[in-house]
Order: sequence, then structure tokens, then C-alpha cells
Amino acid sequence: AKEKERKKERDRKRRRNVARRASSARKQGNELEDRPGREERRGRKKRDKEGKGKGGEDERQEEVKNDTVAKTQKNFSNENTRKLEQKEVEVVGEEDGDTEEKRKNGRSEKGGKKEDNGRGETVEKKQKKKRVETSEEHESSEEEEDEEEKVGEEKPEVLSPEELEKLKEEVDERKKLISTLRGKPWPMRKKLLTLRESHEFVEKYEGALGKGKSRKLYAYKVMMLKKWMKFQRDFENFKTACVPWEMKIKEIESHFGSSVASYFIFLRWMYGINMILFGLTFGLVMVPEALMGRPYGSMPRKTVPRADEANAMDFAVLWDFGGYAQYSVLFYGYYNSQRAIGWLKFRMPLSYFLVGVGTVAYSYMVVIRTMARNANEDGGGDNNSFNFSWKMFTSWDYLIGNPETADNKFASITTSFKEAILEEQESRKDDNIHLTRFLRVLANFLVLCCLAGSGYLIYFVVRRSQKFALEGLESHSWWERNEVNMVMSLLGMFCPMLFDVISALENYHPRIALQWQLGRIFALFLGNLYTFIIALMDEINLKREEEEVLKLNMTIWEASLYNGTLGANSTAPPITVHPADIPRGPCWETMVGQEFVRLIVSDTMTTYITLLIGDFLRAVLVRFLNYCWCWDLEAGFPSYSEFDVSGNVLGLIFNQGMIWMGAFYAPCLPALNVLRLHVSMYLQCWAVMCCNVPQERVFKASGSNNFYMAMLLVILFLSTLPAIYTIVTIPPSFDCGPFSGKSRMFDVIQETLESDFPAWFGKVFSYASNPGLVLPFLLLMVLAIYYLQSTSKSYKQANLELKKKLQTQNEENKKKTKMAALKAAMDLEEAQKARSEAPRQQRKNNASQQSYTGEKNTVTGHLVSSFVFVYPPAPRGHRIPGPLPGNQWQPAPSVQRVPNSQRH
Amino acid sequence: MTTTTHDNHSAFLLSLPNIYSQSPISCCVFSRTMVSGAIALAFLPLVLTFIIRYRYYFVLFYRAVLVRMWYDCTTGLSREERAFQYVLTHAIPGDPESILETFDLWCSKVEFISNIGPKKGKIMDRMLSEHCPLTVLELGSHCGYSTVRIARALPLGARLYSVEMDAINAAIAEKIIRLAGFDDDTVELIVSPSDEVIPRLRADYGLERLDFVFMDHWKKCYRPDLQALEGSGLLGKGSVVLADNVLFPGAPNFLRHVRKSGLYEWKIHRATLEYSKGIRDGMAELVYQGIK
Repeated sequence: AKEKERKKERDRKRRRNVARRASSARKQGNELEDRPGREERRGRKKRDKEGKGKGGEDERQEEVKNDTVAKTQKNFSNENTRKLEQKEVEVVGEEDGDTEEKRKNGRSEKGGKKEDNGRGETVEKKQKKKRVETSEEHESSEEEEDEEEKVGEEKPEVLSPEELEKLKEEVDERKKLISTLRGKPWPMRKKLLTLRESHEFVEKYEGALGKGKSRKLYAYKVMMLKKWMKFQRDFENFKTACVPWEMKIKEIESHFGSSVASYFIFLRWMYGINMILFGLTFGLVMVPEALMGRPYGSMPRKTVPRADEANAMDFAVLWDFGGYAQYSVLFYGYYNSQRAIGWLKFRMPLSYFLVGVGTVAYSYMVVIRTMARNANEDGGGDNNSFNFSWKMFTSWDYLIGNPETADNKFASITTSFKEAILEEQESRKDDNIHLTRFLRVLANFLVLCCLAGSGYLIYFVVRRSQKFALEGLESHSWWERNEVNMVMSLLGMFCPMLFDVISALENYHPRIALQWQLGRIFALFLGNLYTFIIALMDEINLKREEEEVLKLNMTIWEASLYNGTLGANSTAPPITVHPADIPRGPCWETMVGQEFVRLIVSDTMTTYITLLIGDFLRAVLVRFLNYCWCWDLEAGFPSYSEFDVSGNVLGLIFNQGMIWMGAFYAPCLPALNVLRLHVSMYLQCWAVMCCNVPQERVFKASGSNNFYMAMLLVILFLSTLPAIYTIVTIPPSFDCGPFSGKSRMFDVIQETLESDFPAWFGKVFSYASNPGLVLPFLLLMVLAIYYLQSTSKSYKQANLELKKKLQTQNEENKKKTKMAALKAAMDLEEAQKARSEAPRQQRKNNASQQSYTGEKNTVTGHLVSSFVFVYPPAPRGHRIPGPLPGNQWQPAPSVQRVPNSQRH
Repeated sequence: MTTTTHDNHSAFLLSLPNIYSQSPISCCVFSRTMVSGAIALAFLPLVLTFIIRYRYYFVLFYRAVLVRMWYDCTTGLSREERAFQYVLTHAIPGDPESILETFDLWCSKVEFISNIGPKKGKIMDRMLSEHCPLTVLELGSHCGYSTVRIARALPLGARLYSVEMDAINAAIAEKIIRLAGFDDDTVELIVSPSDEVIPRLRADYGLERLDFVFMDHWKKCYRPDLQALEGSGLLGKGSVVLADNVLFPGAPNFLRHVRKSGLYEWKIHRATLEYSKGIRDGMAELVYQGIK
């Protein structure tokens, strides 16, 4: 929707630009028309002068949106008001004096170019007054006008039917002229002039065609239309304002280019997804359990054990998600296996399971849908012919009235030019291909070596830590215990830097370089992730062994309890033991959840601290030490940092992977992630604008990057694998969690089917899940996918070919036009030469009369042909812009970096 | 990995033989060295990154500092004297072109001296030929390379004042200048710190206006000297000030002053540091506009 909206906006802007150019005259009429009374007019004028931002914008947009037909009536009354004004103000000068002033007023924001036009216009207008019109109708109407002026305003003009007919014809003719003007073989100046005149004419006399009552109705209609337009525009604005962080991202995009902005757009998208995940887990799992489930302290799984009670509220313990945090709705172990809770009979275990599955399913759906949509938008082929001309002539938005916005727009235009120049350069680059290939292979080899080395290091460290764990952790130092984490985070921090340096060898386009970089870091992080998972699996196995032992002990404990207190009397009341005292299993699910939550928290902390130290502190030091340092810190060695797109994107993606993996065992994870994303949105936006510099080579990246999505999909798949594996193969703990007492977690489905649904439903379900039915269905689906894919491919190809065809056609037309123009010019030259030579020849060759006449004939023929073919109309293809003069422009050979010091 | 840890271990063994002989402590020491080995190896990518990214700076450090110290010790001559000897033996006397080429050769192949260098020199040559200055002030002549370079490009009747603070360097510069064939009428060498010379230029040397000023002395003096020049009134409308090395080692104060004062039309010619490929540097070209 965002994309669509942006496109719409762009379209609107373009349309506005064109229309503005075309209808400068129309505009003034409208502006005038809006001011019936003098006082109101003054106020309006003042407002116009003060802030050309909002008011002016509104007005102009309205004008653009209104079609010409909609103007008939207004313009007529407009004429009248103008006269009224004249009377009131008693301007003695020429008729246009007042309007002229206003026109300039309105156009002052359009820059000097337009002002020139304005001046030219006055001259033209005066000329027009003096000029004798060729068409009779026009003349008569002018006379009428004069008469009216003499008579006064109140009397409405009366036209005879014939005159009306004529006027109508004339108006139609003018309208036709306006629509076909683009193809006319006239010089630009003449075109503009004609356009302006015809617009004025149409505006003036279209209104006269209406009559009495219908006129009023029409005016009312127009007013309502305008109001409706205004409402629509306000609504659009409101919608844009509702898109979170849109302004921030736009600002960043204008200063740092689309690649950095793509990260933030991705972040925002991710935030949206996490909001929904959070809503699901919070609304369907955490809140019902907290409200309707058994309260804290009612069961062993909902009570802090006696041994931990003393320091269960310590900050250190809570920060580590132990103590009261562990025995709360935040983690799996707290949930009860009661089938239905509360007066709503809420099926808690079922809900827990379905939410766990649903979050993953929803994520798959969203990612794949977004990918498909982005793929549609890509389209293939380039539609950026005359790219630079478009940028050159249409990028400024004349409606900007706010200096800050203007600065942003300026920056964004500069950035877009840089991007475009870079694209162009890259497309023209042809270096020594063999050397480049060799270097690329070498770079990949180096990176592989690096990856293998770091993989081995991690493997080595993990194995050693297992050895330590067997020996007992207490006998080892802090460094040894945290070795795995240290090594992993250090490698994760430094290896990307090395990759970055190595990738300088490859000489790729920065966009492709970014993708390679992303891929490499992805491989590195994946190694880290899977070591983490393997370590977790080991831990789970350990816990399960512990649990087996405990189950045995439990029966002994119970027996001893009964034996010790019961004695002979069997009718004694049942023994009550405080739940905190009952021994309990290790609950591996909670342990997994805790690990993930800790990982997320530490990861977030690391990110923020690196941001603050690496970016902010560095920027502060560079900025303020520069006054007393022996070399230039800003331009030289430390400099300001650049925004690391690849690292940040991957951090985000892996973070999300963790969430997907851990959310089943810790329902609080989506909430944490939402918090984290929210904070990092603000923090990173601030950090980027405050302490980073734009990249050296600003390159274009689409806002909806499919590469990111593809990586996200891979991570989603990889992170659901272990989660599904644990759910399917490992039996749940016997005394904690919603599935306690079942042999597998998914048994809850079967249970529900058996007890909550009628018998036939279970039967149907069992039939439907019969492999004989499922397999053909799967086969059918595969076939359908294959078919759809191949058809879409063929469509794409056809599209591409059509595009190509259009382009070649356009080029051919251009060539033809050029040829024709050249030929015409040559003919003209020849004719002139012939004409100048003709008298001489006449003098010299009196004898050869015959040949002379023949030559004269040819000369006239040439003349005629040259007049006909001077500027043949350029035929236009659909959607392809006409040949603009900027087309031949060559990009500058090098993109110079804006000196860092210039930012201050 | 294993070999490195082994190395660590053996190194430790060598340094602490007596401790290692006691078995329980030695076991502990052994494991501790292993830990630092694994974590230290994780720093390897960082080290590699730094080496690769800042390789030009390392090379520069090697050539400008280490090689120089080595030659200072072995020959007993100063760097400038060595350069002069080389030029004397290899260049054609009286031919500025050949002297410059020899200098470039020595600076790029043997040792490093921060002259303006051939690439940035070309930019300067172009500017000189565009402006045709009659009075030129050079701050910091060092070995006389840039002096020869400027003098070569001057029109007839122009005069170049070259200021050098260090007497020994000035003597060498004098020799080089004379070797290139420029006499006292064209080039006048002033041996004095620049901040003392500038206020006296009008009185002592009878100057009315400077057409071209080239700065290549201490980077910290750029701004005070520029301000002194502004104060002395020697800069007229259209006078050009060219400052070398404004990005590396860099003269941020100078650039800030230029930007803020509004007296100049300025631009930075981007290039690389002389005799080095990867270090970015720039020359600032200021055209004095006067107070508007």
C-alpha cells in the first residue's frame, strides 16, 4: 500500500508539473475567482504572501484536478468580479494591471525562469489587445465585453442563439487545439503562446454557454466537487501521516540515499509483523492465563521454589530472567495443563499450541506474499530512458513552502543524481575482465578461508567448553566459562569488517557488493546460530536425564511423606504441603525460553552500546578534538562512521530468527522484540542523522528489497526447523507447561478432536489426513505451482519484449525525425544558395533560358518541401517521454564525495 | 590453531621454566594460555582489517620514518643533504626539468620527502600559467623543489619570494635553486619564520600586492599566516592562495577560517598524497575577493 501510495504521489506530482506549465493562465483566473469581496481578497492575498505552503498548495492542486469543463461557470463570474474590483479600487491603468501583479505574486515561487515568462506575457497581452483578430466571433465578443464594461456589472450578458452556437464552435476548436498542441510542428515559444491564449479564451467563454438556473446549479456542483477534492486530499495527507515514521525515513532517504532508507523501511515492516505476533501471543496466551488461570502460588509450577525464594526478587536474578520472572506468564513452565480455564472455558493448551503454530504460519504467509508483490513490482527491463532529463527537469517540487523541506528536497535530488550517475557509470564500465574475474575468485577464496577459520575456531571453543562443563564450571575462570560467547561475538563483529575490506578487491556495483556482503555475513552468523542451537540441544538432553532421575526420586519422596505422617490412621485429612516445597523437574522448555530471552537482551544491549560508543562517542571525539589535533580528524583517519547497512539488516534478520525459534517457549519474546524494534527505530534514526556520514558511493536500492526478504525466508525456515524438531520429537516435561502429562505436545489436537468436536468430524479429519488423500493433493499443488510459474515467466518475457519493442520504436522515430529535420535544413540551405545564385546566373547565362526555368522550378519545389518538413511532428509511443534536450547529457567522470568537513 | 597455541605454550615455557616444573600450577598456566590464544585469534580479523585498510599509511610510516632513521644513522647526513647529493650527481645542472625529475625519482624510489610532487605540481603549473602572477610568495621552500617548480612556470619579470625557517634546509634550497639556473632577480630566499616575514614584507621588500601565494610549511601556521596576509593588505582582488596538504596531514582550522570568512572563492583540488597512491589529499585554491 505504501508503494502504491508513493507511486500515486509521484504521478500526481508529475501531472501537477505538466499541468502547471500548461495552465498558468487558468490559474490566475481561479485565484481571482475565489475572492468575491474585497476584504476577503485582501486577506487571501496576505495569506498567500505569508505562507505559500499549505494554502497555495491546496489551491493549485484543486486546479489541477478540476477538468477544463468544470470551469465554465466560474470563469464567467470571475470576469465579473474582476471588473468589480476594478471599479472599487479605481485603477486607472490598463485592464491587466491588477491581475498582472497577482500573477507575479502567485508565480514568485516558480523561480526566475517563469518570471521571465510573466514579463513576456505582459508584452504579448498588450500586443493582443492591439492585434486585429482574424475570427469574427472573437471580435464581436470583445466588443461585447467592452460594452459590458461601459454598462456596468449588474446586467447579465445576453447572447443570441447563433452567437452561442458560434462561440461553442470556437471553444471546441480551441479545446481541440490545446489537446493536439504537443504534436504541432511549431517552435516552443509559439506553442506556449498559443496554449496560453487558447486556455484564456476557453476559460472566458465557456462560462457564457451556461444559462440562468443551470449555471447556479453548476456552480454549486463545482463547489461541492472542490470540497470533495479537498477532503480527499486531506484524507490522503492524514493517511500519510498515519504511516509511522514516514517523515523520519524520508528525511534519512534524502540525506543518505535509498540504501540506508531501505534498512529503515525493512525495520518498520518488521515492526509491523512483530506487532501482530505480539498481539497473538499477548491476547490469546498471556492475558487469558494471567486473568483466568490459577493464580500465582497455587501450584508448584507457579511458585518460586523454597531454595530460591530468598533472592528471587534481586535485580541480578530478575535481569537474568530467573526468580519471579521465571515463574510468571513470561515463560512456558508457568502454564497449567488444565484443559479449559475460567468461566469462558478457554482451551488454554490448545490455544497455546495453535498460537505457536499460527505465528510461524502467519510469518511464512506474510514473507512470501511480500516477496511475490515485490517480484511483481520489479517487472524487469529498464524504464529509465531519458533518466537524467527527467531528473533534471522534473525533480523539483514547486509546492514546497517550508525551508526545511526544501533543504531535504535539495539533498534528495543531489542524492538521486549521485545514484543515477553511479548507475550510469557502472553500466558503462568495461575493465580488464580477466583481471576482475581473477580478483573475484581470489576474494571469494579468501572469504571462504576466513569463514572456515572462524568456523573451526568456534567448533574448537565449543568442544573445549563441553570439556569444561564435564569437569565442572566452578574450577574455571570467568574467561573460560564465557569463552564461547566471547569468541562468537568477537568474530561476529570483526569478520564482517574483514569481508568488507576483501570485497574492495571485487569491484562490484555497490548494490551487488552489498548482496555479497550480506550473503557472507549470513553464512558467518548461521554458523554462530547453529552452534548455539547445538549447545542448547545438549543442554536439553542433560535436563531430560535429570528429569528421569527426579521422577524416580519424586515417588520416593511422596512415599516417605505419606509414610512419615500417616501412620495407622487412614482417615486423617490429606496432607497439605506448601507448593514451594514440592520437588520439581528441571523443565527444559523454560530453560530454552530463558536462553533465548537472555540472548535477545544481550544482543540488544550490544547493539545499543556499539551504537553509542562506536558512532556517537566517535563522532563527538572527532568533532571536538578536531580543534586541537595535529591532523584533520574529520577528513582523515577516524572520520565519522558510515551507516553499516549489511550488518544492521542481518542483525535484524537473525534477531527475528531468534524470536521465531524461541517464541514457543517464551511467550514474552514478541513483546520484547517489539520494544527493541521501537527503541532502535528512534535510536538509529537519531544516530544516523546525528553521527553518520553518507556513504562514499550512494547507490539506489528499492525500498522493498526482495533480497532481504529472501534471507528472511531462509532464516524463517532454518529457525522453524529446530523448533518443530523439539516439538515433534521431545516429550514435554512432566510437571510444567500446558502440555504436561502428554507424551507429545501435538497430542492436544487429537484430544480436542476427540472431546470437543462431534464424532463425525474426527472421522472426516482422519480420512482427510489419510496419506492416500494427502499425497495426490500435494502432487496437484506442485503441478499447479509449476504451471502458474511457467505462465508467469512467459508473461514476463512477453512484457520485456514489448518494452524493448517500444523502446526501439521510439528510438527509430527519433532517428527519423532527426533525419527529416536534417534533410529539411539541407534543402533550405540549398534553396537559399540557389536563390542567391539565381540572379547571378540570370545575368550570366542569358542564353540558356530553357535550363534556367527548369532550375527555378526545382528551386521552388525545394522551398515548398522545406516549408512542409521543417518540423515534422514527433510521434509518441505509449508512456515514453518525448525526446528531451537533456538526453545527450553525459555524466561526469567521477562522483566526488562531499567533503566531510562541509557538513559543519 | 593448534600450532599457534602450541607456540604460545612453548613461549610461556621458555619464559617461566621453573614454574612449569611444578605440575599443578603448570596445568593451570597451561589452560590459561590456551584461553587467551582462542580469544586472541578472534582478534585476528580485526588486525588484518586494519592492516589492509591502512596499508598506505603503514607504507608511508615505513618510508618517511623508519627508512629515514636508518639512513640518518648509517650515513650521518640529514635527509635533505642526501637528497641534494643525489640530485647533484644525477641531474643536469641548469635544467629545472631534469632536477625536478630527479627529485621525483629519489622521493618515490629511495626515500620520502613531502614535496608537492608531480601530480599536484601539474595542477599548480596550470594555475600559474592561467594567472601569470608577477609577485609570488612561497611559504616553506624546504628543499627547493616547489621553488624550482614555481620559478620555472613564471613569466618574464616575475619575482618569487621563498620563505624558509630552517637555515640548513634553506642552504640546500639555495643550492638547488642556483643549480636549476635561477638567479637572485627571479627567486629571493628569505630565511626566517613565516609569521615574522609576512608583516615586514611591505616595508622590507617593497611589495604592494601578492598575486600568488603558495603555502607548504607547517600546517598549523596556515591559518595564522593567512590571517596575517589578510591583515597586511597584500592580497588584492583576484590574488590566488594555494595551500597544499589541506586534507592529509590536514589543516582543518585553515579550511574553517576560509569557509567562514567569506573573503574567498575557494575549491579543493582532490588528489593523492605525493609519491603515494592510496592516501587522499587535496590542495585548497582560494581566490581573494575582498570585503564585499
